[in-house]
Amino acid sequence: MAKILLVEDDEMNRDMLSRRLIKRGYDVVIATDGQLGVDMATQERPDLILMDMSLPVMDGWDATRALKASAATRAIPVIALTAHAMSGDEDKARAAGCDEFDTKPVELARLLGKIEALLAGTQPAII
Amino acid sequence: MSTLEPLDAELLARRQTALLRLSMRIAAAHDEGDVCRNIVEGLRDDALGYNFVGVFLLDAATGDRVLVASAGWDDFPIGFRVAPGSGLSERPLLDGRLHYSSQARREIRHVHVAHSGSEVDVPLVLDDRVIGVLVVESDAEDAFDDRDLEILEAAARHGAIAIERARLLAAERQRANEHKALLETMQDLSGELELSKLLQGVLERAVSLLQVTGGELAIFDDEAQELEIVASHSIGSDSTGTRMKPGEGAMGRAAITREPLIIENYQEWEGRSDKYEATTARGVMVVPLLIGQRLLGTLASVHTESNRTFGPDDLRLLNLFAPQAAVAIENARLYTEAQRQRRYFETVVQNSPVAIVTLDLDGEVTSLNPAFERLFGYHAQEAVGQALDDLINTPETLAEAQNYTVDAAEGRKAHGIGKRRRRDGSFIDVEFAGVPVSVGDERVGILALYHDVTELLEARREAEDANRAKSQFLANMSHELRTPLNAIIGYSEMLQEEAEERQLADFVPDLGRIRSSGTHLLALINDILDLSKIEAGKMDLYVEPFDVREVVADVASTVQPMIQRNGNRLEVDVAAGVSEMRADLVKVRQVLLNLLSNAAKFTERGVVRLNVSAVHERDRDWVMFRIDDSGIGMNSDQLGRLFEAFAQADASTTRRYGGTGLGLVISRRFCRLMGGDISVTSQPNSGSNFTVLLPLDVEAEGGAGGESAEVAV
Repeated sequence: MAKILLVEDDEMNRDMLSRRLIKRGYDVVIATDGQLGVDMATQERPDLILMDMSLPVMDGWDATRALKASAATRAIPVIALTAHAMSGDEDKARAAGCDEFDTKPVELARLLGKIEALLAGTQPAII
Repeated sequence: MSTLEPLDAELLARRQTALLRLSMRIAAAHDEGDVCRNIVEGLRDDALGYNFVGVFLLDAATGDRVLVASAGWDDFPIGFRVAPGSGLSERPLLDGRLHYSSQARREIRHVHVAHSGSEVDVPLVLDDRVIGVLVVESDAEDAFDDRDLEILEAAARHGAIAIERARLLAAERQRANEHKALLETMQDLSGELELSKLLQGVLERAVSLLQVTGGELAIFDDEAQELEIVASHSIGSDSTGTRMKPGEGAMGRAAITREPLIIENYQEWEGRSDKYEATTARGVMVVPLLIGQRLLGTLASVHTESNRTFGPDDLRLLNLFAPQAAVAIENARLYTEAQRQRRYFETVVQNSPVAIVTLDLDGEVTSLNPAFERLFGYHAQEAVGQALDDLINTPETLAEAQNYTVDAAEGRKAHGIGKRRRRDGSFIDVEFAGVPVSVGDERVGILALYHDVTELLEARREAEDANRAKSQFLANMSHELRTPLNAIIGYSEMLQEEAEERQLADFVPDLGRIRSSGTHLLALINDILDLSKIEAGKMDLYVEPFDVREVVADVASTVQPMIQRNGNRLEVDVAAGVSEMRADLVKVRQVLLNLLSNAAKFTERGVVRLNVSAVHERDRDWVMFRIDDSGIGMNSDQLGRLFEAFAQADASTTRRYGGTGLGLVISRRFCRLMGGDISVTSQPNSGSNFTVLLPLDVEAEGGAGGESAEVAV
């Protein structure tokens, strides 16, 4: 079963989303800030990362840039999750290296669609 | 009658000479009085021996005989009047013949006089009309023989002819005098442009020309349709200010008939106005003052003496006077009005809060108002004659200002906002307008207006800042709201799933309500966020090429469930010429979805149509999306508020049909951002039609609202 790393500092959102993903059969690991997210990604090698962008210690953009800068984690698809629905946000997230973008509150069906699409197309980490 | 006794030759010769002298004297006389005096003097010649002689002339008006010249009648003054019905001298008046009374005292009509032994009364006849009587008396009875009567008849005949000639001469002289007087009067009056003085002057001249007691001058007030007396002279009381309706009194009557009017006895006249009860006027003569057929007023002259009557001479004179007076009054009125307007505009300019300056065609100051002095700090005396552009510009603004001046000098309007320099070197923001000033076809100068907008611009900047702060606040707030809402929607969704799985069907509907309320709240927040982004100038356009048909197909399939919910049918037609356009795909999609879902919501068991066509208008290519429905429609009141935020036709609509009430507002803003617009037509109960017109090729930066100041949201 696919392993998803959820990087989210808000306890309720984390709880809710992780429970719903687990219920749908995903293996979910949690990180509560950007730095922990980068560390966890390196250790746990998840199949996909859901990255909140407003995070303490290291924000989601920096964390994504770090992930994409590292050969070990570069291939892991990152979906940016942000409550910032401003039109520039998606560009900003993609510029940081995010593979997908979705807004909160999460519409689960839509997010699952994006997750599945990315998991299906995951390429080996060869550049 | 005594028998004729032969006269000695010497006496005869003397009488002949006397008669000749008489004729010459009469012929030499210049006026009526002279003629009469010369008749009397001539007859008193010793050779003729008539010592008691008088000439009466008939006063046509009264029928009185008036003594004009006499000799030997010390008891009777010149001007003595004998009324009709008395005196022997009336006899020639009645039959036109000479009457001789050899014993005058015996006559019934005899009026006792000192010398009335015998009396001859000879008519002065002119064209078969008796105009007077020559009366010759003697102390002695039977003092006149046939030769005397012949002499007296001859004298009377000559006298009458001379009187006629004198009268003609006098009339002619009078006319000449009148014309002269009139001319002088008019010269005096035409120089008088002050209306009140002129009016009084006209009246006084008329009174003196006509030699009457007094008069009144009324001006016709076009607005009130009334005559107002504006000058009054010696008519007992000052009637100035009295107003009369046309038809009222003598002046009112002349105002209607536009004809002169003479009233012989005003006291008994049936048309008297009750405003003149106290007047002692006897004769009244009124003429209308006309310019063409336009009534300017009326002029009345009045006499109070019983021996003065208005005759043809008076009328003639007044008829000569009236048109001239009317012209003088009209001129003064026009002048006064022009002066008044000039003063009015001067007052307006002097008191205007807007700085006003006039320039000649070279751009040099000719005048300026106090507001200009206050705004720029230049006094009129130091600015006049200077080039305005040099006075109030900096080297940076000079070229631009000179362009405006050239525009205005060449007859074009100039308008703008810019910085200008005050005398003390400080700067002000001004809104200005330069207008060419023309008199007739000739351009004579430039009028320039300056309005201080320093504070206004400051206020606008503040207002824009405040608006941005508001938008920022809304954006922040909606962001803060989304986080807990996220949890509400997520947990209620989870619980709903859970309840279904555990077959706790009782909970499912309530959980559904929590979730859908949360979703609605989220939609609201998203819309508010969109609006605040638009207003903050942070709504960017992502212009990309896309296939219109694909978008339409995509949108049609998205709204299909909503269309079917109310039993409606969706008909889509994309015209042949429509293919690719360049616009913000996401926003086009959002607009179409919004309009189609509205149409679906407000229509039941009907048809919703989406027609797409290519249009060429205003030199541009457009794509037109028409969304028609057969739904409930809107009245004009609802249409008027349609594009206002939260203005769904009424509050209950929101409850019944759902929606945030912001969809149309946002859709229109989106369209305008792309350089297009949405328009709508609708009738209650016969559906609505929304037309979206978007440029085929949207300019990326086109119409981005607000200023691009950075707002972090």
